[in-house]
Amino acid sequence: MLFALREGDAVNEHSRPNQGAASSPEVRTEALEDLLIEKGLIDKARVDALIERFEHDLGPLVGAKLIARSWIDPEFKTRLLADADQVLQDEGIGGAEIEHVEVKANQPSIHNLVVCTLCSCYPWALLGLPPSWYKSSEYRARAVREPRSLLRQMGLDLSEEVEIRVWDSSSETRFLVLPERPAGSDNMDLEALASLVTRDAMIGVAKATNP
Amino acid sequence: MTDTAPSANVHDIGGSLGWGAVPYIRDEAPFHHDWERRVFGMLFQVLSRTAQRPGEFRYALERLSDEDYFCLDGYYGRWRAAIELLLEEYGHLEAGELDTRLGLPLGNGVSNRAAKVAEVLEQNMPPDRVAPRPSHRTVRRELETPSRFKIGDVVVAVGITGSAHTRVPQYVRGVSGQVVNIHPVEVLPDSTAFDLGDRPQHVICVAYRAEDLWGRGSEEGVIINVDLYECYLRFGKEMP
Repeated sequence: MLFALREGDAVNEHSRPNQGAASSPEVRTEALEDLLIEKGLIDKARVDALIERFEHDLGPLVGAKLIARSWIDPEFKTRLLADADQVLQDEGIGGAEIEHVEVKANQPSIHNLVVCTLCSCYPWALLGLPPSWYKSSEYRARAVREPRSLLRQMGLDLSEEVEIRVWDSSSETRFLVLPERPAGSDNMDLEALASLVTRDAMIGVAKATNP
Repeated sequence: MTDTAPSANVHDIGGSLGWGAVPYIRDEAPFHHDWERRVFGMLFQVLSRTAQRPGEFRYALERLSDEDYFCLDGYYGRWRAAIELLLEEYGHLEAGELDTRLGLPLGNGVSNRAAKVAEVLEQNMPPDRVAPRPSHRTVRRELETPSRFKIGDVVVAVGITGSAHTRVPQYVRGVSGQVVNIHPVEVLPDSTAFDLGDRPQHVICVAYRAEDLWGRGSEEGVIINVDLYECYLRFGKEMP
């Protein structure tokens, strides 16, 4: 019966079984944090700092710059596709959830799509924190079963001629999609090109933005 | 969701049927509510006092009841449930301590519904192998022995560790696929989640054709690549 509701659906408090405000996520989370602080198990300033770092300092721009550079520098692109770990090390890019990274290049006849069906693995240090839809049961279940129809519903209508390669992140390898460079971007510099590379394009549910 | 559970494990939903449209929002922000930020921010300090081994936090999530895993509060609600479970199991919170504080009736906590940590038999695990442990915290290891498999081999996942935490998705079990890549060696989560040793494994990327996984009527021109720890795999038969 709970399955009838999609996870994350907005729910009227009165429809929560056997509860009231005391079990709202806001109240419960705050009570949990207070309890852990009182017990000395967590430090509030460190909680704040972590949120700040992941929400504001890390984001898809790290990945987007790698993609943009590979669009204008073929030698860099070759290295990125052959050994992303070495490139990240050379560039001083490290952090959470990128112990081993592989970059998969889209081509006119090949489209790559990343999912984690068993949980929600995602290259945090390259893309920032994942959006809710990536973690949804709908995406996790359907990306491996009917990716073409899934992408169409998400606004990406691929020709039947295009092969779809899905990458299920079932080990600690993390995948990044290298989208195709959009037409009309010939004269753009690295920074302008990076602004065309959205997070969703690097997951594989969208193409890079047209200039 | 349909009436039937997608698999024996609440989390193993790849390929299960009956799900609707993805709740897709273009360029969606990572957080929608401030409490989600707080759950995220708390998690890592909680883990440093609880689930520290590779796979242990994932296993805690997998042990949640359907009600808590697919909870109305979404992904961060699921994380908070696992945090509550781990804090009780590691003795940092009394059972029901948070509910008492909130004036809620006892006996309805996450831990009342979650599965206990299963007993996993070491004898079913692949043999452990000596691999130097790097000085920094990592799942990566180095093995001198190369993988039994090479690119192009046809393999099939049988998943024989018998562990209650494994990284073989149900949808590939028993289906032949082709090795397309060999990733660096990692510790085996089936073992580390239970403190049974690193048992480092080559990680094999196996490509499956959609028609082999889903049968006739599946989408054409679709390849699904899955990373599988070497001990999950046997040589398989070429699919017709």
